[in-house]
Amino acid sequence: MSFVHLHVHSYYSFLDGAAGPAELLEKARHFGMSALALTDHNRLTGAIRFYDAAKKLGIKPIIGAEINIEGGYHLTLLCKDMPGYSNLCRLLTAMHCSKSPDRPAATRSMLDSYHEGLIALSGCRLGEVPQLLIKGEPLGAARAAGFYREIFRHDFFIELIRHPSRRGAPTCYLLSSFAQEHGIPVVATNNVHHLGMRDYRIHELLNAIRLIVPVTQLPGPRTVEQYFKSPAEMERLFNDFPGATAMSGEIASRCNLDLELGRPRFPRFDLPVGQTAAGLLRKLAYDGTVQKYGGLTQELADRLQMELDTIEKLGFCSYFLVVWDIVRWARARGIRCQARGSAVDSLVVYALDISIADPIHYDLLFERFMHPLRNEPPDIDLDIDRRRRDEVRDYIYRKYGAENVSCVATINTYLARGAIRDAGKALQIPQATIEEACKGIHWLSASKLMEKAETLPELKDSSVYRRPDLKEFFKTCAAIDGFPKHLSVHLGGLLIGENRLSDLVPLEPSSGGDIISQYDKDDIERLGLVKMDLLALPTMTVIEEAVRSIKQGRGLDIDIDKIPRDDPAPFAMLRDGKTIGVFQLESPAQREMAGRLLPQTFDDIIVSLSLVRPGPLKTSMDKVYLKRRHGREAVEHLHPSLEGALGETLGVILYQEQVLRVAHDLAGMSYAEADGFRRAMTHDRTEDEMGKMRLSFIRCAMKKGVKRDVAEEVFGHLAAFAAYGFCKAHAAAYAVLSYQTLWLKCHYPAEFMAAILSNQPMGYYPPRVLAADARRSGVVVLPPDVNRSSDHYAVEDGAIRVSLSQVKGITGETIASIIRERGKGRFTSLRDFILRVEASQPILENLVKVGALDAFGKRGDMLAGVPTLLQFKRHTTSSNPPLIGDMPGQYDSTHVPDTIGAKQSAGPDAIVDPNHVIASETKQSFDRSTQTVRESLLNEREILSLDLSAHPLDFCNLDKGFTRIKDLPALATGRSVKLAGSVIRYQTPPTRTGKRVVYVIMEDGTGVADVTVFSDVQEKCGKYLFRSGWLEVRGKIQRRGPKSLSIIADVIKPLRQRS
Amino acid sequence: MSKLIDEPITVHVSKESGPTAFIWRKRLYRVINILSWWREPSEWWNGEPVRILIRVTAECKRPGIYELCKSDSDWSLRRLLD
Repeated sequence: MSFVHLHVHSYYSFLDGAAGPAELLEKARHFGMSALALTDHNRLTGAIRFYDAAKKLGIKPIIGAEINIEGGYHLTLLCKDMPGYSNLCRLLTAMHCSKSPDRPAATRSMLDSYHEGLIALSGCRLGEVPQLLIKGEPLGAARAAGFYREIFRHDFFIELIRHPSRRGAPTCYLLSSFAQEHGIPVVATNNVHHLGMRDYRIHELLNAIRLIVPVTQLPGPRTVEQYFKSPAEMERLFNDFPGATAMSGEIASRCNLDLELGRPRFPRFDLPVGQTAAGLLRKLAYDGTVQKYGGLTQELADRLQMELDTIEKLGFCSYFLVVWDIVRWARARGIRCQARGSAVDSLVVYALDISIADPIHYDLLFERFMHPLRNEPPDIDLDIDRRRRDEVRDYIYRKYGAENVSCVATINTYLARGAIRDAGKALQIPQATIEEACKGIHWLSASKLMEKAETLPELKDSSVYRRPDLKEFFKTCAAIDGFPKHLSVHLGGLLIGENRLSDLVPLEPSSGGDIISQYDKDDIERLGLVKMDLLALPTMTVIEEAVRSIKQGRGLDIDIDKIPRDDPAPFAMLRDGKTIGVFQLESPAQREMAGRLLPQTFDDIIVSLSLVRPGPLKTSMDKVYLKRRHGREAVEHLHPSLEGALGETLGVILYQEQVLRVAHDLAGMSYAEADGFRRAMTHDRTEDEMGKMRLSFIRCAMKKGVKRDVAEEVFGHLAAFAAYGFCKAHAAAYAVLSYQTLWLKCHYPAEFMAAILSNQPMGYYPPRVLAADARRSGVVVLPPDVNRSSDHYAVEDGAIRVSLSQVKGITGETIASIIRERGKGRFTSLRDFILRVEASQPILENLVKVGALDAFGKRGDMLAGVPTLLQFKRHTTSSNPPLIGDMPGQYDSTHVPDTIGAKQSAGPDAIVDPNHVIASETKQSFDRSTQTVRESLLNEREILSLDLSAHPLDFCNLDKGFTRIKDLPALATGRSVKLAGSVIRYQTPPTRTGKRVVYVIMEDGTGVADVTVFSDVQEKCGKYLFRSGWLEVRGKIQRRGPKSLSIIADVIKPLRQRS
Repeated sequence: MSKLIDEPITVHVSKESGPTAFIWRKRLYRVINILSWWREPSEWWNGEPVRILIRVTAECKRPGIYELCKSDSDWSLRRLLD
């Protein structure tokens, strides 16, 4: 075997490598190399995708790592085989998880324990042997080499890296002589860090980012030589070191790792004696089915048999039992928990009580979830009450052992904003320029930035992207687009191993202390390991808290899983779009859809959830469905055989399951084949591949007597839909939660909204919008009160009392202290409060400013008294007695002039900023304090993020031409209106034409309005989009359905104060 | 010992063997031998390209060791070595 690169860093060396594994492999293929190693720093994060891609290219993948060892040295390790790979995983885990301050670093004893199956190369310039030789310590180098030889025996090599410089290559000669003297074989490597020679710039930039220094101050020595050299170039470079390049081929031939990717490696479920996993699963499934359906019909028995046979055949029985056990454990402790996604298609999953949506009732298709042709482990994702998710996680750790469980990693990569910030800092671009360049960029890739800067209205007017002096800078940002930066914890993923996890996956602590895999979820799946998604769903917490609050406050014991699903009142509320806070139905698109669809039944919620998806929207199927639904268009099927598949949705494809049924019914595919067909269409395909699928579908359909043009048209619908469609099982599972939250909001708005407010952040809307919505539902929202508020929003005589935790800066300790002291007796004065509670001066002042102590005096008086009372408290709690005259009684309630300076009012025509509410010169008196309403509002906005006393627009001298949002429903369609409001959020969903439409959600204190901004208006007013918090919108009222209402914007500009 | 020169020169290059001669201060120097060559990183953030340094033995009246520097298409005599 000719020369093989054995020391190669990819960008998974995290800011110390400037090429991806695929690019490196492509280069190896270009040079005709038969093998290639990947040796990232202290990690295998890129190893699985490298292995997979290399196999596909017919290149032998050599997995390894360049590790740190104690003393700050480096060592290159390569896996010979599976035991070697396992040892590398164990070694990396031990290095990362050690308690040493120098971690990750391997100790001699770690190397001693985990060396079998590994080949060691002496490493780069920072290797122990090279370093000691460079330092002039040949004896030390000999001792080190002796240790490595003892450990790795004939698998230890001296690594020669030759980077020509003014000084020649002295280290290379030094090492070569040393190797010869000690009888150690040498091997040529190039310590590759980038692809082409000129890419050293990107490598240096990444190094500067990693070391947090400007590129001008990078520590030396610098080199351009760490690029992917061709075998010929390496041969020339090492022509005076005979055998050094050939040795790389020899080493490569010793590496023959077979990772057996894709082989399922499921956790073992502890079975009762004499029981098999398949037997237990069958018993549980049959028992559960009988219990749920009250008996076993032939249909149920056939379905169960089919599902169980498939599960058993694929070897997934243990996996189902593991999930069943987790859910059983959680439910037994009152933790709300249920499956989401395609798992809900399964009767076995339902019978095991893992899901709550009946697959028979909703006519769900098991093959969408699992079938024999699908060569992937199953994926049962669980939604769990957010507050109690960690209890479930801890149970899994206990049950399967900490060594067998870890969190799954997510690889954080560069997008435009991060690239501009990090590269800008390293290249010493002025901060103001960086800020200007980052403005208005949301989720944009750096490589598309310049293109988008030409086309996106909000970026077009910014000159920063057109500055000639920044042209190279933006090119550099694009060059690091998508590069990995670091690992973080996957939101819900938990990994359960077949055996000790570190035998197969290197582990490391996250910045938060959780142990995470070095692989992300895709690599975990390729390895055949089970990732359990335990997703913390705040909606479940909300339901649980609302139900408990209803019981506490009203004495009503509600079984939320058994509420009637034909209650007309919640549906009336849904049709009116009053769904802020309702799970999955609160977005502008869903509220608008409700006004068009006019849902009347639970099944309509499933339809609604599925209609507002890119699939139906991009194919305009929403319009067709609604026309048919309301009788404005006859229901027609392209072919009679489609009636069974599409009858329930009036001839329109709404669900992924229907793609399977259509392919089955029209083209005669088995459901398993049909799912393969669906999955094939969801991935990016070349026109050629798509053409082949089309031909195959049409041929199959024609065999069944379907006309070519009909088959072609049906295929067109399937192809357009498949990539973006919704799984009906998922919609059905979520519809249950949607309906439960809708029902709670309808009948118990105070309890429901209090629970929603307690569980922020969640959903679409910030607390101030939720609180305003609660008020519109007739629920009073009371300010915090130290004698009444707790650590969550509570219902108090039908009103919502703001939580203490909403107060900016307040700590958990202070809240606990307030509640604890209150338990001993109510607070009677400011002095009493300060003396009994542990709170800092800023917190005390914030509590006073938002009225939490209003019962004890005027806010201005109390603010003035806080410092003295705190001083008095310090005296009384220290050994020094209080001085006469420091007695604070005088501050209890006596009048002290208002010390809060009035905020400077904005000048005429000033752009409104939510933090500088437009000032009215007219002060209004405020109950119990000298604060004005305006000041109270300022404090509420700043400290509580709520508008309790008023709304900022109440202080704007808006002329009569403005319409308040609450008045919109009474106005005629097409009428021109002018709105003022603050922006809650923007949305840019995919559209059929591909043209971007921006949806702006605005509120003005009287309601929430949805504003649609089409491309022509974006062109005119784009510079204000995404940049202004307060907008003036001129537009026309549009109604796309009997109860839907939105504003089509004509003009958008920042809201300006009227003088 | 070496002396920093950093002056522009004109270099005759053969495709096969690299620099064959150069003109420095209006005198022609014939390259006798190429001793070594290497590449140096530059201040790329200021738009500078990678520099190629070539150490040669050349003679005008008598032989000497010279360091030629190629940056893009510009050549300079970097150093004179004793």
